[in-house]
Amino acid sequence: MTSSLQPDPSAIGRIPAPPFARLPDPEVMFAQRAKRLLALAEVSDLGAYLSFVAALAQAQHDIQSQLPEPSLPDEDALARAREFAMPPIDRSGLSLDPAVARTLDLMFDAAASIDKPKEAEVALGVVRQAGPGTVTAMIRNVLSEAIPADAIAEHAYVAGGLQAHVARLAARLDGEKLVRVSDGVCPACGGPPVSSLIVGWMGAEGARYCCCSLCGTFWNVVRIKCVLCSSTKGVGYREIDGGPGTIKAECCDTCHGYVKVFYQQKDVSLDPVADDIASLGLDLLLRDSEYRRGSFNPFLLGF
Amino acid sequence: MNVELSRRGFLTAAGVGVGGTALGAFGFGDLEVAHAAAIRPFKLVNTMETRNTCPYCSVACGVILYSKGDLRKGENADIIHIEGDADHPTNRGTLCPKGSALKDFVKSETRLRYPMLRKPGSSTFERISWDQALDRVARLMKTDRDANFISANKDGIPVNRWTTVGFLAASATTNETAYLTYKVVRSTGIVCFDNQARV
Repeated sequence: MTSSLQPDPSAIGRIPAPPFARLPDPEVMFAQRAKRLLALAEVSDLGAYLSFVAALAQAQHDIQSQLPEPSLPDEDALARAREFAMPPIDRSGLSLDPAVARTLDLMFDAAASIDKPKEAEVALGVVRQAGPGTVTAMIRNVLSEAIPADAIAEHAYVAGGLQAHVARLAARLDGEKLVRVSDGVCPACGGPPVSSLIVGWMGAEGARYCCCSLCGTFWNVVRIKCVLCSSTKGVGYREIDGGPGTIKAECCDTCHGYVKVFYQQKDVSLDPVADDIASLGLDLLLRDSEYRRGSFNPFLLGF
Repeated sequence: MNVELSRRGFLTAAGVGVGGTALGAFGFGDLEVAHAAAIRPFKLVNTMETRNTCPYCSVACGVILYSKGDLRKGENADIIHIEGDADHPTNRGTLCPKGSALKDFVKSETRLRYPMLRKPGSSTFERISWDQALDRVARLMKTDRDANFISANKDGIPVNRWTTVGFLAASATTNETAYLTYKVVRSTGIVCFDNQARV
C-alpha cells in the first residue's frame, strides 16, 4: 500500500476492509525466518536446535536463485478451483516432477554443509540415497501430514524442500482471486495452519491471519474462533504466567485442540514458524492438559 | 468438525503421537529433556477474549474485552484490556477517544452500580432497590402526565402530547429492544425522546 506513488485518498477517507489473503514472498520469507530463529537462539535454551532450523531456513532461501520457474496449473484448473471453492494448488497432484526433484536435491545439498548432530546427519544420508519411489512416498506423507514416527527427521527435510517449492508456486498466484475454503485450510494450497497472527499491517490492524504450514500464505480468519473446528463457543487463551502476553494457545472446548496465536501488533518480530518452535515450552505445559496441538509444523512434529 | 480436523486427529494417534519428536529425531533430544525440566515450574494462565458492543453511542462499535481468569472453570474473571474488534464491519477495530477509554469506564470508582436516590432538599444520594426505583419513577411520571398531558390543541384537534418529560434510552441494545422502547415511550405521548437508534 505504501509502495504505490499514486495518491490514494481512500486510505484515509474510510476504514478499509482487511484483505482476505496475503501471498508469501519466498525471496524474503525464509531469510527473515532464519534471522528470527538466530535471534531466538541467542536467548533460548533450545538455542542449538533453533540455530539448526535457522540454517535450514537459510538453505531454503539460498537455493531460490537456482530453482527453475515453477509451473502453475492451467487457467481452466484455476477457474474450476475458484468456482468450487477449492485451493488452486492441488496437493494430491504434487509429485516428484523435475522442479520438485531439483528443489529437493538442492535443499539436501545445502543441508549437507550444516553443522548438525549425528542423528540429523544419518537422516539426511537416508533421504539423499532414497530412490524416486521412496521420495514420492515421503512427499505424500508430508502433504497428508502423516509422518511415520520412525522417520521424522527424514520427512522434515523433505517438508523443508516442499515449503520452498510450494511457496514459490503460491507466490505466483493471483491473491485477489483466492476464495475461502474453510477456516483452517489454506486458500492457496489446502495446507493446515502452523499458527495464527494478530497483525498490525496497515489496513488490517488487529485482524487475525492464519499462516499456512506448507506455502506460507496468510489468510484472514475471524478472531475468537477455533481455526480447527470453527467453533466460537468456549475459546480460551492460555499463556505462560508472567510472560509478555504475545504468545498464547487458542484452546477450544468444542474440539479440544489448540493453535498458537502470536500478537504481532504488540511485537512485530514474531514469526509464525520460528516463534512456534521457540515457544515449545507452551506446548510442553499443555501436553498434560485436555487440549492437543492441532497445528502442523514439520520442525515440531510429535508434540 | 471439518474433515481437516478428523484427518489430522487420526494421524496424530496413528503416527507421530506414539513415538519420537522432531527434536529427538534430529539428535537434540537432550535439549528437549532439559527444556521440559526448566519449564515445569511455570504455570499456565487463561485469558478470555469476549466480543461486546461499545455502550457509548448509536454507532455501536464492536469491542473485544480481555479478561484474566477462566469463568468456565469457576474462577473469577477480571477485565484487563479493551480494544476495538477488527472483525466488526462498523468500526474495523477502530475506536473513538471515548471508546478507547472504555476500561476506565468499566473500572471507574464513581460508576453507578445500583439505583441511587437524592430526595428533594437532600445533599446526599442513598441506595435504593430496583423495585423502589421503578415504583418511584412510575409514580412521578404518572403524576406529571396527569397534570400536564395535552390531549387536544386549541382548535380541538387531538394531539395527545406529553411535553414536560423527556426520555433518553441506551444505544447498546438490539433492534427489538429499541423497537419496544420506542413503542412504550411514544405511546405515553412523550415527544422529547432519544433512543440513540438513529444510525
